[in-house]
Amino acid sequence: MRRRVLSIMIMGLILVPFLFSAVAAKTLKIGSMSPLTGPYASDGTDIKNGTRAAIEVFEEAGGMPGYDKIEFFPQDTACDPRQAVSSANKLINLEVVGVIGAYCSSSTIPSSETLAEEDIIMITPASTNEKVTDRGLPYMFRMCGRDDDQAPAAAKFLKESLGAKTIFIVDDKTTYSQGLADGVKKASIALGMEVVAHEHVNQGDKDFSAILTMAKRANADVFYMSLQGYSPAAMMTLQAKRLGMDSQIVTQDAVFQPKYMDVAKEASQGVFLTYGFTDQTTPQYKAFEARYVPKYGKIAAYATYAYDSATALLYAIKAAGSTDPKMIKAELMKLDFQGVAKHIKFRANGDSGSSYIAYKVVGDKFVPYWEPVNGLIK
Amino acid sequence: MIQEFKKVWKQYTIGMVWLLGLLWPMLGIHADGTLTFQKTLTVWGYILAGTFVCFMIYIMKSGSSFKFIADPISRAANGVKSASTALPTWVWITVVMVLVLIYPQLAGRYGTDVAITVLFYICLGLGLNVVVGLAGMLDLGYIAFYGVGAYTYAILNTTYGLAFWVCLPVSALTACIAGCIVGYPTLRMRGDYLAIVTLGFGEIIRIILNNWMTLTNGPNGILGIKPIGIFLPMFENGFTFEHIWVKKLQFFYYFALGLAIVTAIGVHRLNFSRVGRAWESIREDETAAELMGVNTFIYKLLAYAMGAVFAGMAGAFFAARMKFVSPESFTFLESAMVLCMVVLGGMGSIPGIILGVIALVALPEIFRELESYRMLVFGATMIIMMLFRPSGLIPAKRVGTRSEEKEG
Amino acid sequence: MRLLPWHKPHLLVRPNNLKLRKLNTMEYFIQQLINGLTLGGMYALIALGYTMVYGVIQLINFAHGEFFAAGGYVGAIALAYFAGIGYMDSHPIICLTASFMIAMAYCAYLAVGVEKIAYKPLRKNSRLAALLSALGMSIFLSNGMMLTQGVYDKVYPGELFQGRFDFGMVTISYLQIMIVSLTACLLVGLNLLVFKTKIGMAMRATAQDKTMSALVAIGSNKIISLTFAIGAGLAAAAGIMYGLYYGSVKYDMGFVPGIKAFAAAVLGGIGNITGAMIGGLIIGMVEIFGAGYISSEYKDVFAFIILIGVLYFKPNGIMGENIDDTRV
Repeated sequence: MRRRVLSIMIMGLILVPFLFSAVAAKTLKIGSMSPLTGPYASDGTDIKNGTRAAIEVFEEAGGMPGYDKIEFFPQDTACDPRQAVSSANKLINLEVVGVIGAYCSSSTIPSSETLAEEDIIMITPASTNEKVTDRGLPYMFRMCGRDDDQAPAAAKFLKESLGAKTIFIVDDKTTYSQGLADGVKKASIALGMEVVAHEHVNQGDKDFSAILTMAKRANADVFYMSLQGYSPAAMMTLQAKRLGMDSQIVTQDAVFQPKYMDVAKEASQGVFLTYGFTDQTTPQYKAFEARYVPKYGKIAAYATYAYDSATALLYAIKAAGSTDPKMIKAELMKLDFQGVAKHIKFRANGDSGSSYIAYKVVGDKFVPYWEPVNGLIK
Repeated sequence: MIQEFKKVWKQYTIGMVWLLGLLWPMLGIHADGTLTFQKTLTVWGYILAGTFVCFMIYIMKSGSSFKFIADPISRAANGVKSASTALPTWVWITVVMVLVLIYPQLAGRYGTDVAITVLFYICLGLGLNVVVGLAGMLDLGYIAFYGVGAYTYAILNTTYGLAFWVCLPVSALTACIAGCIVGYPTLRMRGDYLAIVTLGFGEIIRIILNNWMTLTNGPNGILGIKPIGIFLPMFENGFTFEHIWVKKLQFFYYFALGLAIVTAIGVHRLNFSRVGRAWESIREDETAAELMGVNTFIYKLLAYAMGAVFAGMAGAFFAARMKFVSPESFTFLESAMVLCMVVLGGMGSIPGIILGVIALVALPEIFRELESYRMLVFGATMIIMMLFRPSGLIPAKRVGTRSEEKEG
Repeated sequence: MRLLPWHKPHLLVRPNNLKLRKLNTMEYFIQQLINGLTLGGMYALIALGYTMVYGVIQLINFAHGEFFAAGGYVGAIALAYFAGIGYMDSHPIICLTASFMIAMAYCAYLAVGVEKIAYKPLRKNSRLAALLSALGMSIFLSNGMMLTQGVYDKVYPGELFQGRFDFGMVTISYLQIMIVSLTACLLVGLNLLVFKTKIGMAMRATAQDKTMSALVAIGSNKIISLTFAIGAGLAAAAGIMYGLYYGSVKYDMGFVPGIKAFAAAVLGGIGNITGAMIGGLIIGMVEIFGAGYISSEYKDVFAFIILIGVLYFKPNGIMGENIDDTRV
């Protein structure tokens, strides 16, 4: 008995190191939450790298007055709500001032509630579901577009540019995919198109032959694929082509990743998708490109948004002169400048506006194809 | 010394050469048509060095070459032991209790977070211990009951607004029912089949949680669960009760601690009771137990249900802490991890399980840089424990003695 | 062919043999049948490994799914290498065959080593110990693959077998034909090995009664190693097929197919080789038809339900068990 008690005591000693959680020098702590492992790891790594690039640029320009350095803590959410919440808890423990993240709307929404309890600013570069900013959280901001802008844009594209009459919709039940799929369904019906079916698959499924055979049987004009990430989308595209499903495949912004063409190869040619418009001719974009590409590789979907989010946050902290969330928020609302991805100006609820256009896969690039106001892009 | 271990040396070298052949195709063949050896040899070199060191320690220990270190250590250990027997038990227990109670004040937010996770896994480990360690049934779908408990509280709270303490027994009850449903068809099966069928049930429950959108909101999880609410007596204007939410982590630590203590006491009492003895007899030899009049089916079902109850309660606390549940927390990998903790610590022994949980949850937090090797270590631990010390780090104490042990 | 509004050359190109009517019920059924056959073939190959190993040493080899994944990985590596040195374009079939051989050999090598390290020392211990060791080995191997190969999907070259046959609206891709025929060849080969050769007889004898076989001078250790090797080789072939069919492999891909394949082995009668083949086909069909006709979200559940049902109502499986029941 005594030996047992003694052994438990010795075990407890293992927990002693935690008693000495050290306090570091004067550093400004910024965190990021994005999937660094799992099927969405490439997008998540882009977000991490974009934030890092922004911090580097900021430190080169003089850094943050009053602080020795800016410390960056990237966290891995793996697009899993549970891991996102525990990453948020970790960042709260680390006492970060702001968080850039997350990627999947199903991760952003729960973790934002956790962060909101501690009044930590969160700017998401990639979560497009409406609920992210609709809940009225005071410190939640969004740099990318919203799905209730993306869905009508997609429906308009289907009707005006493709002239589709029937649509077969598939989603994987996550907040983002299903939200967008529902939005497209509603908007399409409002525009007079017929939604032949709205089917679901599971996140992580590999075999889509049954659903694709169903789609083939339905033979709709358009197959709208709303999946969380390029990897399942690529597999579905490959299998669709192999099965001879000939409906035109249209998908959404989660698939805007060059790796999509690597995996789906020939099958991906001619696929359309909607994504926020990024003007690649602005000087800001070119400067970002010159800086980012040599160190981190190709610019994929969300590096630009993450860069802008981090830049906005750092500017606001500098202008506010303190880490008080209320003052940082006041400064964020005052921001009005041309960022890398878009013009940055936050609205009252934290959104920064969306401008979705349709791209087409040609070769190994995404080519801008159609925009809602003027139609086909020449 | 080398002579005696010739056979072991031979096995070791064959193993290392085999490993090299295994690593090279994975690391050395590249898509641009090149065959490299550099990376393979580096990785192999590290593994070789590590295992060689362990191997030499093992040989030298068996060959008593470590006398110059081992003797002073054992003398010191004996000294500590005799010192510890000098004071009565209750003093030690009080010291431990005091340390544990003031821990949140000392440790800060991060340490408390880790400690709460440890406490939850202790509850799960103790519950699984009832099924695996006491009754001897390998359950690979155990985490599903945890999930059932958590989701019960989540759904009841968000849909009907029921308070935590009302939902806690309901969670335990639903988990118990789930345990009975899972147990009923599976308990007549052989050991190996039992394992895979429980795994199947665990996966079925997780898939249902993931897909039943109207009930569980699918993969997006349930948000907005209220934390534990308690009434604290306030003595300001007379004697009134004030309702507060247990949101602060430090405060929640005590609830988790309470749960762990209740579970530990429960499992301990079960172990040293008639039920526990029946379980032990079933574990050791089912046919003999049946012959001696032990209704094996009912007792096995009881073991299952009790394990599920502990898991269900822990699940409700988990939901109250995270204020959010999603199916991803309840995968087979979690089940395997809890099993690993039980196996490492010692099946059937309560202090062993506590040690196993601390080793497998707290230690990785200290070795943060080696995060990606965590699961590798888990797998290797299971294999090594089974090969060298199947009874675990702190083996269970048997109830009563066996006749062979008496004579010896 | 009526010209639809989007039939402009730069917008959409449809193949020439397009018929714009919908699939009728019969064609839908046949299409799903073909899909199910392909998937079932892969499950059958994996199930064979489970069933043979259980037949000789009564162990559910949890790590078998990882042999399947490892085979997929090595196949990808080999094919990428051949593409890298330029052989793929000139001799695709030879490269593919070579990749299959390399992967099967690698997994056999892996399986024999795993058996010697993790299972052989535990043969005298309780079943629980061996099972836990197998579980640990499964986790260890899948994470080992993740560490050496990365967490991302490993992409298979897609230029092979791109075409397809269209019979009305039913499509059979070249890849499906390749998979089904290769599976059939391997199954026939295994049958010949087990039932018509001396080694096969030795394997059957060891499965039936280890002690007696040892008495008649059949080296049970060698036979057990051989069983592991063959089982793993078949799983590796299934792994490459899986990679070709779905386009990529990942380190955790062995888990779910592994359980379904075990369900197939049990369905057919554990230890029974023909049973495993039939069980695999049935499980594949049930999964595809369930997904096609009942619910695509719950398709994994069907295999588990079959597993539980079979074990509860008819534990000996369809074709009867075939294990060493002299062991107490």
